[in-house]
Amino acid sequence: MSQNQNRSGDNNLKYAVDIVLCVDTTASMARMLANVKQSAMSFPNRLAQEMAAKGRGISSLRLKVIGFRDYADCAEDAMVVSPFLRVPDDLDSFEKTVNALHAGGGGDEPESALEALALAIGSDWETGLDRRRHVIVMFTDASAHRLGDPRHTSAATYPQSVPGSLEELYAQWGSGQSHSARMENPAKRLLMFAPESYPWTDIADDWNNTIYFPSVAGEGLEEWEMDQIIATIANSL
Amino acid sequence: MKLNQVLNGYRVVTRPTNADAGKCLWAFAEKGGGEFFIKEFLDPKIPKADSMGTVEDKERRFAECERFAKRHTDIMAALRADDVHAGNLVLAVDFFAVGTRYYKVTPRVRPADAAARDLDTRGQLVLLKTLVDSLVLLHAKGIVHGDLKPENILLTPARKGSLLVAKLIDFDDAYQAGAPPMAEVIGGNPLYGAPEWLRYLRGDQGAHARSLTQAADVFAVGLLIHTYLFGVPPGYGEGHESPAAAVLAGAPLAWDSRLGGRIRRLLESLTAADHRARPVIADVAAALDEPDVLVSAAVSPSPPPVPPPSTPPPGGGARTSRVLVNTTKTAARTSSARLRINLTDKN
Ligand SMILES: Nc1ncnc2c1ncn2[C@@H]1O[C@H](COP(=O)(O)OP(=O)(O)OP(=O)(O)O)[C@@H](O)[C@H]1O
Repeated sequence: MSQNQNRSGDNNLKYAVDIVLCVDTTASMARMLANVKQSAMSFPNRLAQEMAAKGRGISSLRLKVIGFRDYADCAEDAMVVSPFLRVPDDLDSFEKTVNALHAGGGGDEPESALEALALAIGSDWETGLDRRRHVIVMFTDASAHRLGDPRHTSAATYPQSVPGSLEELYAQWGSGQSHSARMENPAKRLLMFAPESYPWTDIADDWNNTIYFPSVAGEGLEEWEMDQIIATIANSL
Repeated sequence: MKLNQVLNGYRVVTRPTNADAGKCLWAFAEKGGGEFFIKEFLDPKIPKADSMGTVEDKERRFAECERFAKRHTDIMAALRADDVHAGNLVLAVDFFAVGTRYYKVTPRVRPADAAARDLDTRGQLVLLKTLVDSLVLLHAKGIVHGDLKPENILLTPARKGSLLVAKLIDFDDAYQAGAPPMAEVIGGNPLYGAPEWLRYLRGDQGAHARSLTQAADVFAVGLLIHTYLFGVPPGYGEGHESPAAAVLAGAPLAWDSRLGGRIRRLLESLTAADHRARPVIADVAAALDEPDVLVSAAVSPSPPPVPPPSTPPPGGGARTSRVLVNTTKTAARTSSARLRINLTDKN
């Protein structure tokens, strides 16, 4: 029997998990944000447990946090983006990043969630190891602004990499058949805890590998127990 | 899908979840008084006229959807509920699309509230045989299940008595022997995966799709039999994360010390590193038909590594040279004499 031919010199399966948490930090999210923050803290442990139970050790686990508000309301604090933080090495930074999120501002609906989603899709995902899972989780209680609105894109802080339309963003998400996608089809998952409003229902209908847990717009995500949310994310690995 | 939504006549009666499911959302459903399991696939999604994407992109997606649907209807056609051994395969009764999404429906199975290792030896044998017989049918048709693991084998009470039968679910990772899906998308589970599966998935040099055959299922069966008898798969040593990894490295699997000689040799051959050296599933079925196959040939040299049952059975443990694989003698004793054929101590 030939053996030990893989790169790392042992026979174990190397599994990489990257998770990007996109969190709406506008004022209406105050109550929810406290929950999201709390569970984000327990995340690393829970995920490791879940994977061990499935017989898959995670060889690489990285978390990234994107907090978003509204470029239309206040472009200066519309987006906070962390790099990928490695667990357990960068756990401190991860906890600091999560702790620093605070709810406030945002004005009225809609918010700049699609920009956050675009930045998440454009992340520097792990491309090595044997198997990968790239998960984006969206937490919001609002609809999103359409992409490409000059009133937002003209802001000095507006990220240049964000595509000009939902169509273009879709092309970056891609399907099993697309050639231009940024995301690796079998690896990617998009979990949306969001109301039944633009663009969440469209995305859920049209984009593959998405899981949509609708909440009632304006009422926040309270109906979703945080524990269920963590379990859902862990299940998606 | 949503709780209370009606899809093709099936009313969703539980909140959809992705528990134990990598590629779907699932829930239980009802239709015409019957109870069903309904699965909503995450990929592919059917493009509509007003869907996002260019015309060419939508054409490609549409073609992918047709291939996906064909794969499912082909499996449904190949595995028919009226086949002699199909009784314990949980087969799709419906496959359809609503809007942009595909759904698959199977009868709902209500798992028993019992573990295989708590059965007496005959009970364990019945359970294993129901599993193996299902695979005999599958393998005879050239189909590899591809994701054998305890989560995909639901244990249900037999129609009468205290026996459990194994219902095999989730044929969504199944493939024709020698023609598996590409390495990036092939299903399977690291704990029960075969060495050739592990090498294929990792893209090792010299790993070939054609070596992924029914023998990959057979490897999993070897591990599963151990799991059903003792509650856990065999040990695979520090430094290896799975039985397949250990076997690939030439390290022996650590069988439970209570495992008898004949069954141990069977499991060893089922988990051979070289897939060509493993018996075919029909041989496993035949081996399980031999009398006393689960009964060990000699008393184990070392005591079993599990604590003894809290209530010692009346009359003490096995006093003879034969030990039951099952240490839960209380269960064996309390079951009726009818259940004791082939497994009482014979001097
Ligand atoms: N017929 C059924 N009756 C009752 N429960 C079922 C039935 N079929 C599946 N389940 C439950 O649903 C879970 C998920 O189903 P299934 O394994 O088919 O999903 P999957 O997405 O193919 O999962 P994976 O590919 O990760 O194994 C199973 O582990 C089992 O607990």
